[in-house]
Amino acid sequence: MESPAPCDRNTVVGEDDRLDLELHRGVSERDRAAFDELYRRYVRQAYGVALRVTSQDLIAQEVVQDAFLALWRAPEAFDPARGGFRSFFLSLVHHRAVDAVRREERLRRRTERAANLEPATGEDPAEDVVEDAYLRVRRKEVRAALGTLPQAQRQVLEMAYFGGMTQVRIAEQLGIPIGTVKTRTLAAMRKLRVTLQEE
Amino acid sequence: MAEDHERIEELLAGYALLSLEGEDAAEADRLLSEHVPGCARCRRTLADFQALSGDLALATAPADPPETMLPRIHRAMDEVPLEGHRPRRGALIAVAASAVALVAMGGLSLVMGNRLNDAQTRAGTALEIISAMRSSGSQAVPIAPEGDTPQESALIEVSAPQVRRLYIASENCPEPGPGHAYQLWLGSGGEWMPVGPMFRPEDGVVLLEVPVDVSRFDAIWISEEVEGTPVSEPSTEWHSWSGELS
Repeated sequence: MESPAPCDRNTVVGEDDRLDLELHRGVSERDRAAFDELYRRYVRQAYGVALRVTSQDLIAQEVVQDAFLALWRAPEAFDPARGGFRSFFLSLVHHRAVDAVRREERLRRRTERAANLEPATGEDPAEDVVEDAYLRVRRKEVRAALGTLPQAQRQVLEMAYFGGMTQVRIAEQLGIPIGTVKTRTLAAMRKLRVTLQEE
Repeated sequence: MAEDHERIEELLAGYALLSLEGEDAAEADRLLSEHVPGCARCRRTLADFQALSGDLALATAPADPPETMLPRIHRAMDEVPLEGHRPRRGALIAVAASAVALVAMGGLSLVMGNRLNDAQTRAGTALEIISAMRSSGSQAVPIAPEGDTPQESALIEVSAPQVRRLYIASENCPEPGPGHAYQLWLGSGGEWMPVGPMFRPEDGVVLLEVPVDVSRFDAIWISEEVEGTPVSEPSTEWHSWSGELS
């Protein structure tokens, strides 16, 4: 599938960011329909990243459930002045997933898996069938941006983010100095930052 | 200096990815308390890196949760009244999650249940403390009054391995003097690091959640300071409490 034209992309993303804000405002006013719509929009992505990080169905379910309940209980935790709702919520899910993994002390068992991550830039045709357009657009951009990273940078980034590994453990795993891990991580984040802001 | 910001941005990148530990995590905590709030460049970098952290989730394939998840969430929403009642267990996790969100998105290194002025949050933090105390290897350390500080005002510190948080609680903490507030410090080898913004008790209640790996520190101190004045070491002039972390 070809990438959408820039004007289509901006329209889609802009409208959906605004819809997120409206729905979040509804949640703040205890509107359950707004909550259910936010759930519908983000649950599949939230569950996907929770599964990827935890590798455990039940833990991933608990992570996602807790994240949505946190949104309902304390919607004020999201401050629109600090960024978009999507990033806020998915970051919350990721944060809780990493916490869960470390609590469960399963990091060591997952090390091998982290070193053999499924290709993040691969296409899954089934995704497009049921996914909202705005997530599909941004997903393509994020995956394309990851694909531009040098392999060494992308490796440390994925081990940290999807593997839930600390920089110390990444250095041990790869047999490289921790300073190299830090340098590669920062270089990767800077490149992604520039690439995605240009989108 | 450019060199300083290179080092700081390395730490902010690791912080946004939740991949710091040891001295790097301590240094990031210190920067988030002391440097980042006053540095526009670092605030922008942190915000961008944290937004990236959210966007990276999109690189994973979405997955269908069980159909029972939304009904379960609805039940949990129904179980906990919005106000006036003690939350059940389901709410505690949610409250903790909101605290994590504040830390993750705001760059804060301290979440103050008493400042949030929310009954559920306070109850949630209190029950998180109980939950931490049940964890294997947990420790509860009294933080004893120093000098003329009222003896009945002892605080307690609770932490547990893997939780990577410590909690501080008191039910009868005296009000600091006019224009004063309390500062939390963590110490290692005689060096003290202020953690988070200053705080005040609310009706004598202190409930703090500090997202920090307590194993990096050997001592804890809470001191009364002049609010708004930068401090480099704990003051012993007014109320203060201290304890050792094993």
